[in-house]
Amino acid sequence: MDCGTCETTGPMVVVQPDEIQVELTMSDKATEMLQQAFGDDRSHALLVGVLSGGCSGYMYDLQIVETTDTACQELTINGFRVLVPSASSHLLNGIEIDYVDRMMGGGFKINNPNASSSCGCGESFA
Amino acid sequence: MGVFTFDASVLLLQGDDLLPFLDGLTTNKVDGPCTTVFTNLHAKIIDVCEVIPFNDQVVLVGFEASKSNLIEHLRVRFLGRNITLQDVSHLNQVYLSNKIVNAPEGSLHHTSFFGKMVICSTAKPVEVTWSENDFTEYRIQELLPFYGHEISSDVHPLACGLGALVHPQKGCYIGQEILTRMRSRNKMGKQLLRVENPVDDALTVGKTQSLVIRRV
Repeated sequence: MDCGTCETTGPMVVVQPDEIQVELTMSDKATEMLQQAFGDDRSHALLVGVLSGGCSGYMYDLQIVETTDTACQELTINGFRVLVPSASSHLLNGIEIDYVDRMMGGGFKINNPNASSSCGCGESFA
Repeated sequence: MGVFTFDASVLLLQGDDLLPFLDGLTTNKVDGPCTTVFTNLHAKIIDVCEVIPFNDQVVLVGFEASKSNLIEHLRVRFLGRNITLQDVSHLNQVYLSNKIVNAPEGSLHHTSFFGKMVICSTAKPVEVTWSENDFTEYRIQELLPFYGHEISSDVHPLACGLGALVHPQKGCYIGQEILTRMRSRNKMGKQLLRVENPVDDALTVGKTQSLVIRRV
């Protein structure tokens, strides 16, 4: 096979969507739960990312991190550091981070105005 | 031994965690060489691809006619990942056979759902011994769907004989909820069938038999 490692072909240019200055909100319940998780420690941040995959094509990825190698926008929401990867900004602008208090299927939830559909578990969206 | 060639796309992916990336987007378990199906939200086929790890890259062999849709499907999901994509279709020719092909040095061999596959540089072609009709008769006997016939963007994999490429335990890929629901409720809708000629709704027409997709 010819893998094209010569001058005959180069990598295709992958056009990334323009970075958007993200605005997001956090519900009172989510703020309360983050307060429980972080306490008074503000050295860590909540990373709100998107991964490809899931039943609907994209999956939310919430992590508590100290730092990240990913290029991110840093926001301060209700006193908490929130990191949003620049490459996913077009998918996350306008989201609300909520917390649903249920025995099953509870936890942090993302309400996303950019999502045309989402899967039953709420972790995946399109 | 018959050797057949077809209009294939050959894409090279380079980057980190390529197999998990592809695993999250396709119906089959992608943890090594395999054939798998990219589906959309409605579980309809975008492309049927061979995944072939090659050095530190992954070769994706699909059908040329669906290449642009596949590339667009992949592009919007890179999301800042360090992945590069090269289209090397014009540099390579893809062959299928029912036996291992005696191919020039440097060719890439792969066992596909469709048969023994070999990917060769266009500069070192392999002799084609099967005509379109020969391959058609082989497909009908093997109940083997193919692009441009049974495989199209109008059908889901379970309807066109690609059920073996839909992993029964795997979760969370695009279109998975629909395919899993069909299986778990045993509502398979349409299926690929081999029927005796003459046939009005044939998608592949052979000398005495044809392939059709019908509700059963």
